[in-house]
Amino acid sequence: MEFDFTPVITYFPTLLQGLGVGLLVALVVAFMSIVGGLLVAVISVYVNKVVSWPLRFFIWLFMTTPLLLQLYFLYFGLGEWILIPAILVGILGLGFHYMAYNADIFIATIKAVSGGQYEASRSLGFGHIATIFYIIVPQALIRSIPQLGNNMILMVKDTSVLSAIGVAELVYASQYAISVTFRPFEFFIVIAVMYYVVNIFMELGQAWLERMTAYRR
Amino acid sequence: MDFNLMVEISPLLIKAAWITIDISVRSLFFGFFVACGLVFLQSFRFAPIRWFARGYISVIRGTPYFVQLLLVFYGGPSIGFRLDPITCGVFVGAFNIGAYMSEAIRGSIESVDSGQAEAARSLGFGRAQTLVSIVLPQAAALMIRSVGVLAIVVVKNSSLVSIISVVELTYQAQRLIGSTYKPLEIFTLTALIYIIIVYAVMGIIELAYRRAMRYTTL
Amino acid sequence: MSTENQTDTPDTPMVEIRDVYKRFGDLEVLKGINLTVNRGKIISIIGPSGSGKSTLLRSVNHLEVIEKGSIFLEGVQVNRPDLKGLAFERHINHIRQNMGMVFQHFNLFPHLSTIDNVTLAPRKLKGMEAKAAREWGMELLNRVGLAEKADVFPNWLSGGQKQRVAIARALAMKPKVMLFDEATSALDPELVEEVNLVMRSLAEEHMTMLIVTHEMGFARDVSDWAMFMDGGVVVEECAPQKLFSNPDQERTRNFLKKHLQG
Repeated sequence: MEFDFTPVITYFPTLLQGLGVGLLVALVVAFMSIVGGLLVAVISVYVNKVVSWPLRFFIWLFMTTPLLLQLYFLYFGLGEWILIPAILVGILGLGFHYMAYNADIFIATIKAVSGGQYEASRSLGFGHIATIFYIIVPQALIRSIPQLGNNMILMVKDTSVLSAIGVAELVYASQYAISVTFRPFEFFIVIAVMYYVVNIFMELGQAWLERMTAYRR
Repeated sequence: MDFNLMVEISPLLIKAAWITIDISVRSLFFGFFVACGLVFLQSFRFAPIRWFARGYISVIRGTPYFVQLLLVFYGGPSIGFRLDPITCGVFVGAFNIGAYMSEAIRGSIESVDSGQAEAARSLGFGRAQTLVSIVLPQAAALMIRSVGVLAIVVVKNSSLVSIISVVELTYQAQRLIGSTYKPLEIFTLTALIYIIIVYAVMGIIELAYRRAMRYTTL
Repeated sequence: MSTENQTDTPDTPMVEIRDVYKRFGDLEVLKGINLTVNRGKIISIIGPSGSGKSTLLRSVNHLEVIEKGSIFLEGVQVNRPDLKGLAFERHINHIRQNMGMVFQHFNLFPHLSTIDNVTLAPRKLKGMEAKAAREWGMELLNRVGLAEKADVFPNWLSGGQKQRVAIARALAMKPKVMLFDEATSALDPELVEEVNLVMRSLAEEHMTMLIVTHEMGFARDVSDWAMFMDGGVVVEECAPQKLFSNPDQERTRNFLKKHLQG
């Protein structure tokens, strides 16, 4: 049994391209899931039960069922109405999935900001919405950083699942190369290493961000 | 919503659900031993053993479960390691969740005030005895909660085994969506089954743990 | 209404509280309170915890919604049962911009630096330019003796420093009246004096102030009028020299006996 990594080197540009697609998707999903999650959290904390109850139900639903099932549902469900590219389905699916996870965190951190903060802001003459925007949300965001970082690290790893619906990310990019070179072990090892490196950088980034914001908590 | 269709397909989904349950429960069961092993290795005084455990946990947590699954299933045979798809799902599932679970267990043990262990040692308890009769019972509540969260992860991870053509719940749901073109009905039913499984598994863990604690505290 | 000692300014009173009632569930905390605060006057409200003194102060800022009666700021009604929804929101925001409130637990915004805590309101609510706001903020921080802490975050400040910043923050909107809700109660004893000093300096500048406090000595020294509350009613009110040395009511005497130390 000997290993041969030369095919991996030959197809390395393809892999890098796949990695690039995966990271690009992750970037869009990070933006969508953080902004969307914040919006969902603010609405479900501050708006009446009629609106917040369905939102909390969807958060719970997205958190207790598998991503892949949600992706299939979106892929075939949307496919009935319109023809949209797989990458868009992937972004939406992953985006909604992590929007639910992030909203769950934001709800907890928004509630953790003390009532005194709200009162102090109102006593200065800020309105309800201005107080949420200038005082509550920034503090909730800072408190959310550690858990938010964990979610985003999980999310980047989950981009690999998007290959199942045909998004041309890293795993998908390797499929063709494996089918012609018959070297699955070598390719998957290299892919794992690539994910691991990305993961290390994300953990460093998370630690840095936590350090940078610790004094504002 | 087409309720007739939902009634019609539910036996198929329930049959597939048993595969999901089988993979999830076995992954959790073996994963627990992997986790205990990793916690044990990290208590060694000989540093390289600790480094090995830390490195293993770091690599498992730093790479996607999906890639681990593909590596073992497709890459394994080329180093003479051949597993049938379901066994492969259980194998990778257990070794994956074991890494996460060991961190959860370690975290809950570390959350117990160190004064507790000192007090026990000062009474003459040994290291192992202190752990079993003083520290673990106090760490139990937190441990149950974090292992319960991991149970959800395991059940959700098992859906990825569909990619190596195990006909579990997600695979069956995808096949049915493809043949009936009724994604909403099938998604609703499948989601419902997943939710039932998740809560059942979490319930079993809590029960098993409570039973175990009855013996350890004595 | 007892206004005999406060008639030296003929114009409209700064704050007027008329027959105010407030209850929390079954508990009546304010049972018909009246008080007139004239421009430039300093009123201290003392009383045991649960007497309703803090609730009264918070009602002036509409942090508590009163059930009956009315409160006026310079002749403008604060509580307006006739206004609903957004109209009331706009009204109360405008009213509050003219009142400075200082809380027992400071409530500084931890995500903003000291100077930003002070200048947030003038920048966002009055549209003050960043540069002008910083100058104004520095002037205020200077007044409370904390100019060198301008770019420090609140978590690095001591309790006394935090409260001084909170006072500067409340002053930033040039309020017509300052409300102090047990401003020194959460502080370690050795930090009380630095906050009292800042409050004294405001008194010298003839800021209208309504002070709820446990500091009997400070209340006696600084205020023009003192009020003792117990069980949701005003038991006694008069000039502080009289209230603290020779009160008419038995309940006041008992309370002071327990709390007066120098």
